[in-house]
Amino acid sequence: MCGIVGFLDKTNDERTPIGRTILAMLSALHTRGPDSTGVALYRPGHEDELMLRIKLGETASSHALEKQISELVKTRASLLEASTTGRYMRLVLEANPDAGRIDRFIESVAEGVEVVSMGHALEIVKEVGSPDDLDATYAVSGYLGTHGIGHARLATESAVDLSHSQPFWVHGHPDVAIAHNGHITNYHKLRRSYEQRGVKFYTENDSEVIGVYLGQRLSEGLTLEEALTASVSDLDGSFSYLVATADAIGFARDRFAFKPLLFVETDAFVAVATEEIAIRSACEATYQVREAQAKEVRVWQKSAATGKPLARSMLQ
Amino acid sequence: MAEIRCDRETTREINAAIKKLVAEGETEIVVRNPGARHNLAVAITEPVHITFDGSVGYYCAGMIDGPTVEVMGSVGWGAGESMMNGTLLVHGAAGNGVGASIRGGTVVVENNAAARAGVSMKGGLVLIGGDCGYMAGFMAQKGTLIVCGDAGESFADSMYEAVCYVGGRIAELGNDAVIQELTQADIDFLTSALTRYLGAKIRNPQLETKRFKKVVAGRKLWNFDKHEWKTWREAL
Repeated sequence: MCGIVGFLDKTNDERTPIGRTILAMLSALHTRGPDSTGVALYRPGHEDELMLRIKLGETASSHALEKQISELVKTRASLLEASTTGRYMRLVLEANPDAGRIDRFIESVAEGVEVVSMGHALEIVKEVGSPDDLDATYAVSGYLGTHGIGHARLATESAVDLSHSQPFWVHGHPDVAIAHNGHITNYHKLRRSYEQRGVKFYTENDSEVIGVYLGQRLSEGLTLEEALTASVSDLDGSFSYLVATADAIGFARDRFAFKPLLFVETDAFVAVATEEIAIRSACEATYQVREAQAKEVRVWQKSAATGKPLARSMLQ
Repeated sequence: MAEIRCDRETTREINAAIKKLVAEGETEIVVRNPGARHNLAVAITEPVHITFDGSVGYYCAGMIDGPTVEVMGSVGWGAGESMMNGTLLVHGAAGNGVGASIRGGTVVVENNAAARAGVSMKGGLVLIGGDCGYMAGFMAQKGTLIVCGDAGESFADSMYEAVCYVGGRIAELGNDAVIQELTQADIDFLTSALTRYLGAKIRNPQLETKRFKKVVAGRKLWNFDKHEWKTWREAL
């Protein structure tokens, strides 16, 4: 099962209640994914800053660890903000050329420390539990931004914990995140070939390989749409997946249309979800939803930024 | 006419309310705000007219025998699946597997249908006003599938005695699917079906139907012949 959702505000309103919308969509799909819930939310990016969400470990956090991470980060970049909520440490640093792979550097501090998201516009929070649980800890419903994707997980093969939850940030590619429904059957083969090239995998979740795949394709110079199109023939198995970047959301569907995926585009917004009930319960308006066809790929770019910057939103 | 509101009600409560009204002899039921819930109006066997004033989720009107179910919005997966008789009218679009495995009755989708429309039909009529996706009509045994727009890949794959008509382009014919010339009887049937179910949406049914392609089984897969091993290997 699993449920995936995505929403993009086409009016480029930075004050869109994106957190509330994504959560409402996920709540409607909670029976498809009762194990864990996650969101990847985007607000207008600031090129001079990098936001990081760091999982401190599968168990409770320790102040010593937080301090160690802060000290380490300071040797590479100026630390603008640091806070800890739930299982995550949240850092904002001044972006500089050295900060490129600072995620690897931070992860070397201790076993179990993982950079769950990094970007100028992106923040991911995910946890075992329901959308309500996630909201209670991280105040997701108060988050204002422009677009986002979300995932409700029913684990089939890999562990039920924070790391194995989705969305996955694509390590090495700031602001790129994916959420997948389905099963990638050539996962082991692909994973082996990537590992031989030095790519680090963080989980045993087959969905992770989609992010790695897209990251590699984007590095090769493909556009997001080209990368999604290529994935339809390079990935095997059942998949409907969503991808988001700092300024776009998109989806790809496998060649047999195994997993459901529906979408609607109006003048005001784009909404994509595993079931129409998610779109109907979050977006009130008159519109017609349609199911994507097999092999269908779509990307919606956010329109160019307008208006003056507003107070920035953040997750707890 | 009776009305059922479903603002907070569960699927079970809505279905119980429909069944109760049907048992009381109500013939016109309108369900307000279905909100794309799943499994609505399943297994209704009385000649009642049920209207959903919005979209419904999966398996709407599955296993019905006799009623007319009208959906003003779209339907999710498996709408009308395994129906025996009756009519499902969808004014919007349909998800995967619309009209799958029906034994009789009529399923009409005014807009597009996703993958696997009318698979394994054993009778009845599935009429798609727009395009249909991948593998429509797969293993259909009897009945008729009409697609007014374009058909996706593997169209009419491995069929038995079902007949398909496509008004637009066929991306790719399935195994053992062959195109046959339209007869006057086909044109008359198409004209009457399109006029009846799509009415005002078709400007000139008489003219429109002449461009349809008829697709039937080539019957090469009906009996095993070792000389056709290659075809078999592809089909299986």
